[in-house]
Amino acid sequence: MASLPPALKKDDDIDDDSEYSPFYGIEKSAVLQEARCFNDRELDARRCAQVITKLLYLINQGETFTKNEATEVFFATTKLFQSRDIGLRRMVYIMIKEISPSSDEVIIVTSSLMKDMNSKTDLYRANAIRVLCRITDGGLLGQIERYLKQAVVDKNPVVSSAALVSGIHLLQSNPEIVKRWSNEVQEAVQSKAPLVQFHGLALLHQIRQNDRLALSKLVSGLTRGTVRSPLAQCLLIRYTSQVISESGPNSQTGDRPFYDFLESCLRHKTDMVIFEAARAITELSGVTARELTPAITVLQLFLSSSKPVLRFAAVRTLNKVAQTHPLAVANCNVDMESLISDQNRSIATLAITTLLKTGNESSVDRLMKQITNFMSDIADEFKIVVVEAIRSLCLKFPQKYRALMNFLSNILREEGGFDYKKSIVDSILILIREIPDAKESGLSHLCEFIEDCEFTYLSTQILHLLGNEGPKTADPSKYIRYVYNRVILENATVRASAVSALARFGAVVEGLRPRILILLRRCLYDNDDEVRDRATLYLSLLSDELEAAQDEAKAFLFQDLDVPLENLEKSLQSYEPTDRAFDLAAVPRDVKAHQQVEKKAPTGKEKKAAKDASQKAAEGKASNTFEAYEKLLNSIPQFAGFGKLFKSSTPVELTEAETEYAVNVVKHVYPGHIVFQFNCTNTIAEQLLENVNIVMDLVEGEDFTQAASKPLASMPCGVPGQVFVAFEKPEGACSLGRFSNTMRFYVKEVDPSTGDADDTGYEDEYQLEDLEITAPDYILKEGVSNFRNAWESLDSESERVDEYSLGARENLQDAVQAVTTILGMQICEATDVVPNNARSHTCLLAGRFLGDTQVLVRLSVGIDSQKQVAMKLAVRAEDIAVSDIIHDIINS
Amino acid sequence: MILCVLFTNRAGNVLLERFHGLPAEERLHWRSFLVKLTAENLKTARDDEVFVASHKSVFIVYTVIGDICIFAVGKEVYDELALMEVLNAVTSSVKEVCRKDPSERLFLEKYGKVCLCLDEIISQGALEHTDKDRIRRLTRLKPLAE
Repeated sequence: MASLPPALKKDDDIDDDSEYSPFYGIEKSAVLQEARCFNDRELDARRCAQVITKLLYLINQGETFTKNEATEVFFATTKLFQSRDIGLRRMVYIMIKEISPSSDEVIIVTSSLMKDMNSKTDLYRANAIRVLCRITDGGLLGQIERYLKQAVVDKNPVVSSAALVSGIHLLQSNPEIVKRWSNEVQEAVQSKAPLVQFHGLALLHQIRQNDRLALSKLVSGLTRGTVRSPLAQCLLIRYTSQVISESGPNSQTGDRPFYDFLESCLRHKTDMVIFEAARAITELSGVTARELTPAITVLQLFLSSSKPVLRFAAVRTLNKVAQTHPLAVANCNVDMESLISDQNRSIATLAITTLLKTGNESSVDRLMKQITNFMSDIADEFKIVVVEAIRSLCLKFPQKYRALMNFLSNILREEGGFDYKKSIVDSILILIREIPDAKESGLSHLCEFIEDCEFTYLSTQILHLLGNEGPKTADPSKYIRYVYNRVILENATVRASAVSALARFGAVVEGLRPRILILLRRCLYDNDDEVRDRATLYLSLLSDELEAAQDEAKAFLFQDLDVPLENLEKSLQSYEPTDRAFDLAAVPRDVKAHQQVEKKAPTGKEKKAAKDASQKAAEGKASNTFEAYEKLLNSIPQFAGFGKLFKSSTPVELTEAETEYAVNVVKHVYPGHIVFQFNCTNTIAEQLLENVNIVMDLVEGEDFTQAASKPLASMPCGVPGQVFVAFEKPEGACSLGRFSNTMRFYVKEVDPSTGDADDTGYEDEYQLEDLEITAPDYILKEGVSNFRNAWESLDSESERVDEYSLGARENLQDAVQAVTTILGMQICEATDVVPNNARSHTCLLAGRFLGDTQVLVRLSVGIDSQKQVAMKLAVRAEDIAVSDIIHDIINS
Repeated sequence: MILCVLFTNRAGNVLLERFHGLPAEERLHWRSFLVKLTAENLKTARDDEVFVASHKSVFIVYTVIGDICIFAVGKEVYDELALMEVLNAVTSSVKEVCRKDPSERLFLEKYGKVCLCLDEIISQGALEHTDKDRIRRLTRLKPLAE
């Protein structure tokens, strides 16, 4: 245990009160000395208990015992089993757990504990079970398993709980033993004692968590019966939503199984259960407005609860719902606004950020006013959350950028730590990138900020941006002053960045070049060599008047290294000065190059990390994912000549869940090629797959010919790996097709206990599901800041309008969702949300088609009294052929 | 997982702490984070007033009784409401042991008993018992009342 910092350590705090502390002046050596009384022939139970308390205090204060000290205390403590004093016995149990003796010492105490485990006194049994399970290893566990099984169904709930909770812990280390208790645990779940039921259910779920059918049976049995413990009921709700997410809606009625159970839990008498059910409903995938309503209603009631925990839980959940269903949460806005002044700042921050998500364009200004007052009295952590919410709001309502950008620049001027300032600067950078109109004002705000910025990292980042973007603005000269001020006033790192930024202005803006050269010459006398070197280099680059030389200078200044910096750093570190110059081309392009060391048997931790990483990759923001894909593909030589990556699809599953091998595919679209990235995971611990390849056969379509492939050398259990296959297609064409896929590999048996693989193996293959290339694969989600302007600016001649009948639908929301999913375009101005009970609605979509063709869609839907939905689809595009393709997608 | 139960005095000095499933090097960070995060709120807190916060995927509920501030930190199943059960079990047991809202001195005098209560309430990061009367009997190894 880490030792306490002096400021927090109680002993150092010598105030009046501590003189009265029973532990005042306590010292480890003295207590260890006292512990010798455990060896006395006549045990003084009271004194021994006091010494144990002191030992506990020392341990809890971060004191550590050496191996010898711990052994001595442990052996002495075991002597105390001779005492019949029950108070002391209870202390002995806790002490043994705290010391956690080493495996060779455990044997000393097992016989005493085994005796207690068979004691007639229930509580001796319960405690002995807990201690034994805590300190024992697999071997001994086999010997006591019989007793543990009995204890699970013991009529005393304390004994039963002790065994069940120990079982939950043992499942991590000895799963095969605990899994054999299934029948007993099943019985415990039916117990009348609430906590036994809670612990039993938790354990049973863990035992069966990989068996979907068993889990589904467990849930359907319990949802019909009675669960006494509210805690167990909460677990049941969680497990139910797990079953729901795996099963999907009933194919005949379209109903969601178990929804009625969740809904009935909303009327439970315990807040905890009500909340759990409400949250489970809000998290259902593809939840409809009708399903959401009752859950939102109870959460709304919680918002005005007197208990802060309930208010917090409710607003936290609503905050999440607001990301996907802003309109559903909008009803709670009044309650939420009153929470802005909540004493608890966490609640207030969540309320603010939720309001920012649910608010419409007209409420932005009013909200901003409220937030300005609020910002001054919250901590940086909360401010960061608000800044992030404002960033997304601004991206949602680009027309409001002025007010929001002003807000960001105001808070940028106020006091704050690095993380807070960084989040503001990052937000402004993103807004500059996404909203072209906001660029100039954003740059000015950032210029003001670096005039008085204490963070070198931020200053250099902003100077770099100024160097890139400043020269392209209408009046580049106004930025020079700000940049050059940095050369005069800042530290060497910032000065060097400023010099680079100046040089970029000089390279791009010819009119400014003579003046830039004067400024750069001044930098030649800087007292830092990096600044001088840069100035010298840029001067020589820019001084040459020839056009070719200037082009070269520009190329040099704006070139991207195109090498991951991490890899470059590693290569430079390992470079030894010789006659051979450092070769930039020799630096690995693959981001993960240094991590992909072959692992034979990954540990649980590694597996989890790998899983987390792949999950993160899936969940990460689209743009980040796209960049990551682009980097990954660029690092593979076979695909280097394919040009610029146009679009990467979301992963498409090619295997059922819970099969031996999990494979999904990402389609990467290039102008003349398509690269299929197969993400494969082997889930069989007893197998190591080698030379994994995917064989793709074209079943439909004729435009594709295979161009390249990159197999995976080795695929151990649980570590995801990638196989790539590339196909060539006519340049710029919207080629469609369907492929059948087979995974071929070489299997080697692995001994799971040692992780060693056999030397020999055999070839095998595994059939995957078919994969289609459809028109939406060629459409990129790309929003426009003002749909109406964008629509008007496209040639009305390119417009193609048609009407469709969508048949009977539950409501318009369903219809809109179905069509937008098929088209896969960017939804503009949050028009995908249909107001409740609306009879008609228009949804606006934007995208970019392969070949850089902008395409916009106006989707108008109406519903009649028989719930028949009609749709009018108007498409405009820069190329009329693309308008036709959009209609073809709907027709097909 | 219940990651941590921490007792401090009102000045933020740690009196008793139990960590579960947190590596030793992270504990120091958590301890100072909790004290820092909550100092402002606890200054003016009334007895039994409950506070709640979340940080990344971790939940924190805390309260103050007498001179003693009690924090419970958890993640996953132990969200704010489940932690409330833990906190209620802890505060009611501490009050039971100390017979009233504890002063710092009284708390330290009853240190051993508080440790036993915690041992009954939390077993390696999982909630085991919640009823204060049962916990009291368990810490004395007295059979449960029928």
